[in-house]
Amino acid sequence: MRARRTARAGQYAALLGYLLFLAFPLLWLLSTALKPPRELGSLHPTWIPRHPTLANVREAFAEQPLAHAALNSLLVALATAVVAVLIATPAAYALARRRTRLTRAATGWVVVSQAFPFVLVIIPLFLVLKNLRLIDSLAGLVLVYTVWALPFALWMLTGHVRSVPAELEEAAAVDGAGRLRTLVSVTAPLLAPGIAATALFAFVTAWNEFFFALVLLKSPGKQTLPVVLTHFIGAEGMADLGPLAAAAFLATLPSVAVFALVQRRITSGLLAGAVKS
Amino acid sequence: MTAVAEAPPARPGARGPARRQGAGPGAWFLVLPALVPVLVLSVGPLLYGILLAFTDAQSGRTTATRWIGALNFRDLLHDTLFWESFRIGLVWAAGVTVPQFLLALGLALLLDQDLRLRGFARALAIVPWAMPEVVVGIMWRLVYHPDVGVLNETLRDLGLGGGRDWLSGLATALPAVIVVGVWAGLPQTTVALLAGLQNVPRELHEAAAVDGAGAWRRFRAVTWPTLRPVALAITALNLIWNLNSFALVYVLTSGGPGGRTRLPMLFAYEEAFRYGQFGYAAAMGCVLVAVVAVLLAVFLAGRLRGGAET
Amino acid sequence: MRTRATALVVLLLLLAGCTAPDHRDGPVTLRFQSLAWQQESVTATKDLVKEWNTTHPDVKIEYVQGSWDSVHDQLLTAFEGGEAPDIIHDASDDLADFAHGGYLADLTALLPARLKAGIPRGTWDTATFDNRVYGVPFLQEPRVLIADSARLRAAKVRIPTPEHPWSWPEFREVTRALSGPGRYGVAWPLKEPVSATLNLSLSAGGHLFHRGADGKVTVRFTEADAVVPRTIHDQVTVDHSAPSATLGSGGSDTLPGLFGGRYAMVPLGFSYRQQVAQQAPEGFRWQVLPAPAGADGLTQGVSPQTLSVSADCPHKEEAARFLDFLLRPRNMVRLALGDWMLPTGTEALKDPALHTAEDGWATGTALAGRLRPAPAQSVRGYAEWKDNVATPAYQEYYSGAIGLTELRERLEKDGNLVLARYQR
Repeated sequence: MRARRTARAGQYAALLGYLLFLAFPLLWLLSTALKPPRELGSLHPTWIPRHPTLANVREAFAEQPLAHAALNSLLVALATAVVAVLIATPAAYALARRRTRLTRAATGWVVVSQAFPFVLVIIPLFLVLKNLRLIDSLAGLVLVYTVWALPFALWMLTGHVRSVPAELEEAAAVDGAGRLRTLVSVTAPLLAPGIAATALFAFVTAWNEFFFALVLLKSPGKQTLPVVLTHFIGAEGMADLGPLAAAAFLATLPSVAVFALVQRRITSGLLAGAVKS
Repeated sequence: MTAVAEAPPARPGARGPARRQGAGPGAWFLVLPALVPVLVLSVGPLLYGILLAFTDAQSGRTTATRWIGALNFRDLLHDTLFWESFRIGLVWAAGVTVPQFLLALGLALLLDQDLRLRGFARALAIVPWAMPEVVVGIMWRLVYHPDVGVLNETLRDLGLGGGRDWLSGLATALPAVIVVGVWAGLPQTTVALLAGLQNVPRELHEAAAVDGAGAWRRFRAVTWPTLRPVALAITALNLIWNLNSFALVYVLTSGGPGGRTRLPMLFAYEEAFRYGQFGYAAAMGCVLVAVVAVLLAVFLAGRLRGGAET
Repeated sequence: MRTRATALVVLLLLLAGCTAPDHRDGPVTLRFQSLAWQQESVTATKDLVKEWNTTHPDVKIEYVQGSWDSVHDQLLTAFEGGEAPDIIHDASDDLADFAHGGYLADLTALLPARLKAGIPRGTWDTATFDNRVYGVPFLQEPRVLIADSARLRAAKVRIPTPEHPWSWPEFREVTRALSGPGRYGVAWPLKEPVSATLNLSLSAGGHLFHRGADGKVTVRFTEADAVVPRTIHDQVTVDHSAPSATLGSGGSDTLPGLFGGRYAMVPLGFSYRQQVAQQAPEGFRWQVLPAPAGADGLTQGVSPQTLSVSADCPHKEEAARFLDFLLRPRNMVRLALGDWMLPTGTEALKDPALHTAEDGWATGTALAGRLRPAPAQSVRGYAEWKDNVATPAYQEYYSGAIGLTELRERLEKDGNLVLARYQR
């Protein structure tokens, strides 16, 4: 029992180490966001602001249309997550269950496509979207992000489908369930962790993406959060650090919140129950 | 269609009635919604980009573009700067991907345990991922700041000396950006592995524990075989993404000092967007794609073997 | 790009329906992408746009916020895709490639005589390529020394003025006198070592780029080109009057060290004063000094901010009229004050607000006449020479990894190879 307890303590210590390493910049952002300009220029910065202020937050919202940009980002990110999952799940299922030369080529292609410098793809992509009348539209951006998220979605989901035993589906088929029903009621629930992870991936990617949003959106009213964030950065890397930190801190929260909600799904352990029954 | 409806090639992985049932022409309907946008927005622009590599395309509308065959590739062969950056790129990609995987695996296993405040810890663990890249770059510049950086401050407090110029030192710049790379990519890998861990049958784990198998044995015998497809997929993608990423490094060092952090993608980006040499940059892209394809083939082979084992 | 376009047609026919031409009835709308960044200058620019819109119902200007950080990539993509803003705010060193690419309208015939006469000939040169004017240079900033007054007084050094500046050797002496354990006379933020070095080298008469009789440009690193680099190198590696740690820093990164007494002086762009004024701790006294002078006095290179019109803009004359309005002397002063920079217009420069001693305005304004186009910004291949050859070479030289001989060799030998490729 004692060994068990020390093992537990070790686990907590390791977890704490991880969290410190991963989350300290968020704390630093928060600390920076609460400091007045004079304190930001101090040679010996402190974790706890000496003269905490909310002026940076006020200034950030006054200078840039943050709330509106956040709404745009949220819309785009949610749409991307939904669309990506809807089209990737069936495709991944087919790719996983059927191993032909063709499906393997498709899988390979999808990944190789990620290796080509996107800066070279962006100009032809721009022209295609222009002809589809999708420049300066959030729908166009969703489309681009979906395609961008697909390789990850497909690869992850194929991996998950493959770890769902085909025997389960066979059993359902023997029970007389149609193929579609088998898919929806047997396979899909087992894929829930993978689907949740994929949706999260698509959401975060879309929420953070900068370059496509920069070049594809023209109207000030449509700009997304990362684009607006760069407006706090001036020439030669000069930055309006306080308001930038305030805005960046707030921009980080939605993704963390979404993950806090989704994480239960990712680890719902549905499979264990399913195998038993 | 007929090609798809044909009986699947006889391989150990394909068997059972459900398999054959899933092999009907219906498979196309499943793939189609993903295929169309990919063809239009990815394959099209990509093929176009590859064709560019065989032209002397430049930015601007004043000069006409000509086909020049493999001239770009010949030039590239003699471009020592590019190959040097290629070497740096490989060091970077391996230096980021390997620790990323190991650390993420450790974290995923921890987060999969029944620990207190698990949900809270999981949410915090994705912080680096939740931050826009520009912000990550600026944050870490502050961390490495020679005068007011948290890192030097901490080292000074610990009495380890201070005043190191992490990002502008010729020797420290690459390791410093690699740490940021690992940090930034850790959550994504962790989440993927965490999701993968849910496929591991609990019963087997418990049974193995009852049999007295140690943690390592249980991991090898029970966890890893199930995790393997997901682990390979995420590692392959990580490798590619890392080989392909430069935004972070661009914000941190702009490729300096003395070109020590000049990743190949940064090189291609500058070639295209700064010097306007689209054709030459495309040729660089093709070389990178070729390398990735080879690496991928190795991974795919591993994956198929893994599939055959289960 | 012509065959690119034809190659695309095939792709596009497959992908999309036809594009109907835009019918524009009623008032003309022009998109103006501004890079104004400081809050005051954003406000000033937006106010001016509003003023224009209320007085000119037939031409509506739409303000779009851009960012210095990403403007080049964004414009290049937009130009290639034919979707660029109509009126473009940029800097002259970024303009050359766009001008060569045919994306910008030649403003020579469009600009009114008043605007042309109001800006000195030499300043126009920064935005003139092949005898065509592709932008109106309207704001510029000299590099100055921002100094900790208390440190200067304590060391009893002579305070330089635009009339009696320090020479480069004197500057080196002064920084040595200002240094001590853990303290440095100067901190060089050289994240962009090439433009800083080249612009300051004009003071010593170093031009580095020389146009031969055949019209081709080559790099020649003369004794005059070595004055500034050697001073910096010796401060860092011989005298230790400048820290090596800031060689990779941006300007803002050095400010805490300045405020905290670690650095006595920092060479920065004139507009950094805004940050200094905003962030300096209570009681910190600072002043603006001219950069050291060489054989050519206080001359230094600048790349002014510019306003251009897209070649695709269907209403170039209206756009030019808006530029004329925006850059009237009174308005130019407002923009300059908002960005803490200097206006290029001679009339605007006379404004009393630019001649106060407060925040060092007078010192900077006194330097306005000594500003020249940054060397080589219009040389084809300059960007690649800078990134691939010069930046690493200067970085290694300043940190002491290589000597002057190797610096010269790399700048000339490797450099001329690059330039030759662009001038075939």
